[in-house]
Amino acid sequence: MITKFMTEVTAKFNPFSTCAKPARLFLTFLPPDVRMNGTAVHTSLLPRNSPESSSLKVKFKDGKEMDFNCSKINIKGLVEEVDRHSRQLQKAADLSE
Amino acid sequence: MTRILSRAAQPCLRRLSVEATHVRGAFAHNFSTSDAQHASPGLRAVPEGAQPPIDFAPVTKPPSARPIDTRKSQMIRTYTSLLRTTPLILFFQHSNLTAVEWAAVRRELKKALDGVAPMTAAPGAEPLDLSPRVQLQVLRTNMLNVALKLVEFYNPEVAASSTSTKRTSKGPIVHDLSEAAYEQVKNAEISPESAYAQIEPLMVGPLAGLIIPAVSPAHVAAALSVLAPVPGKFPAPTRKKNPGYYDPIFQNGLAKLMLIGGRIEGKVFDQAGVHWVGGIEGGIDGLRAQLVAILQGAGLGITSTLEGGSRSLWLALEGRKEQLEGESKGESKGEAPTSS
Repeated sequence: MITKFMTEVTAKFNPFSTCAKPARLFLTFLPPDVRMNGTAVHTSLLPRNSPESSSLKVKFKDGKEMDFNCSKINIKGLVEEVDRHSRQLQKAADLSE
Repeated sequence: MTRILSRAAQPCLRRLSVEATHVRGAFAHNFSTSDAQHASPGLRAVPEGAQPPIDFAPVTKPPSARPIDTRKSQMIRTYTSLLRTTPLILFFQHSNLTAVEWAAVRRELKKALDGVAPMTAAPGAEPLDLSPRVQLQVLRTNMLNVALKLVEFYNPEVAASSTSTKRTSKGPIVHDLSEAAYEQVKNAEISPESAYAQIEPLMVGPLAGLIIPAVSPAHVAAALSVLAPVPGKFPAPTRKKNPGYYDPIFQNGLAKLMLIGGRIEGKVFDQAGVHWVGGIEGGIDGLRAQLVAILQGAGLGITSTLEGGSRSLWLALEGRKEQLEGESKGESKGEAPTSS
């Protein structure tokens, strides 16, 4: 996963529901030094009985925000969506160099 | 050349192996040192129609359904014994901590736990210092999942009395890696109320367990103040008191550790539940004191209610008596007050 162009990742999930899986796995996909490279990572846990489904927000350097509802998407789709935009930014960065 | 030789030797080898089994069978029949009656007292309790015992199974190496020399199988054994013996495990998600960060996290945890007073398990017993036994351990999620199922749904006693369980001359094979265990867990119905069904969604991604070998709220509180500080309730140590806590390496590691739940005495708790357990004042002794206070209160309540009945009766009778006396006085004085 390309994490170079992310400025903020916000995950919110209830670990006792099955829809927490994509959000939790997304956090494990971030490399160990992602916080030092200028990406802010916020996680918040919902209480066990809350009906709210898990969500993930990703902000990019160009200002684009992506908001995912994790009950409708799996980790593969999540990575694909995020990478699709990251690749565009990568392309633009390569051309401007 | 060797291939030709081995091909030529094959029939002979086959022949040899056949003879060997014959010989072994004969030995087993004729030269046994113990006769069938005295050999195995365990065999007599075998239910009707049970499978015949498997021979040549040493006690230290009972037959196993899973390959015994793989890491996974031994992990299942470790985890089942851990889950059976440890009353308190807190689960953390660890997202890509580096080795240096792990070291820093463990160092701070040890520092915090060393400050906790040793707990007394029972009144009068010698205080037990738990802190060197508390571990923060990375767990293999899928193997832990299997172990959780085994611990909850596998009953070795049921398997031992079943007729389909394999047996050796020493007794039925009912250990955690046995075929009986595998079958029982595979066929188990997982009801939504069971602890496994509740904890199962947690078993995702990389997991670490904080293993505390006794239910000691003081240790939980100390560990939480380091690993998952909550301002007000489990405050992180101040910069003056513990500068190592504000080390960037540790803070970086801490950001990647996340408390997601706990398993306390077989029950599953979420973050709020774990905080509640950590917040029990004075640990088990505190709970005992609370219980004593409640029971004393109940005793007082009972005596006052029991007394209350008779007292109110007495009061009513006394009131009626006074009323009657007053009426009789009033009548003797004259009828003016009653008629008005």
